[in-house]
Amino acid sequence: MAVLESPRLGPIVFDSEQVIRFPAGLPAFEDETEFLLVAREATAPVVFLQSVLRPELAFITLPVTAVAPDYNLGLSPEDHRQLGGEPDAGSLLALAIVTVGPERRPTANLLAPVVIDLARRRGAQLLRPASGYSHAHELPLPCS
Amino acid sequence: MLVIRRRPGESVIIEAGPGVRIQLQVMEVQGARVKLGFAAPASVLILRQEILVAAEQNRAAAESVTASSVAALLDQLRGWQRGMGAGAEAQPRKPKA
Repeated sequence: MAVLESPRLGPIVFDSEQVIRFPAGLPAFEDETEFLLVAREATAPVVFLQSVLRPELAFITLPVTAVAPDYNLGLSPEDHRQLGGEPDAGSLLALAIVTVGPERRPTANLLAPVVIDLARRRGAQLLRPASGYSHAHELPLPCS
Repeated sequence: MLVIRRRPGESVIIEAGPGVRIQLQVMEVQGARVKLGFAAPASVLILRQEILVAAEQNRAAAESVTASSVAALLDQLRGWQRGMGAGAEAQPRKPKA
């Protein structure tokens, strides 16, 4: 067990097995290759993506299906390669990074979902330019 | 925007500066997909446009995370969900593969 002191989320107790590896990092954060998923009852349905190597870096995310119930990931062989192999549908998690701000409506990035294979503990931010979805899809959540 | 028609196998050249020559070749056209080849000095950064968009959005998202912004977002999410008669989800749902 280890403890990560996150300035955003407070202390996070975790096991090394919970770490999700992002071999390519995320665009603009290519050196951040290890993240934790932090889902707390008090902050549901938000899932935080917390960097292990850089405690001050955390993202707010929402499951893409909570933002767009019909969202279809449509993984290609190239996507499978980025995830280290073809994932089981049951171990896939797709998260949309949310941008918030005092003077703007919150938006979710549906153009580039963070896709995680929970079985392999591998993740990648995949680009879906053909999906027709925006990098700044305005919330609220649709009725789910 | 300058528009040039090219066939597979044909190229355009971009002289981006002294000694910086970029060759862009149309390699293959298949339906709605075009395969492009680039020959450029190693110092030239060639990116898919959506990677740049994702990078900018990630930077903005990372800077937007504060205790108050998270609280405000949660208030909004719960307000909307209450308003629509749906309960908050405790577990993230799985997407379609």
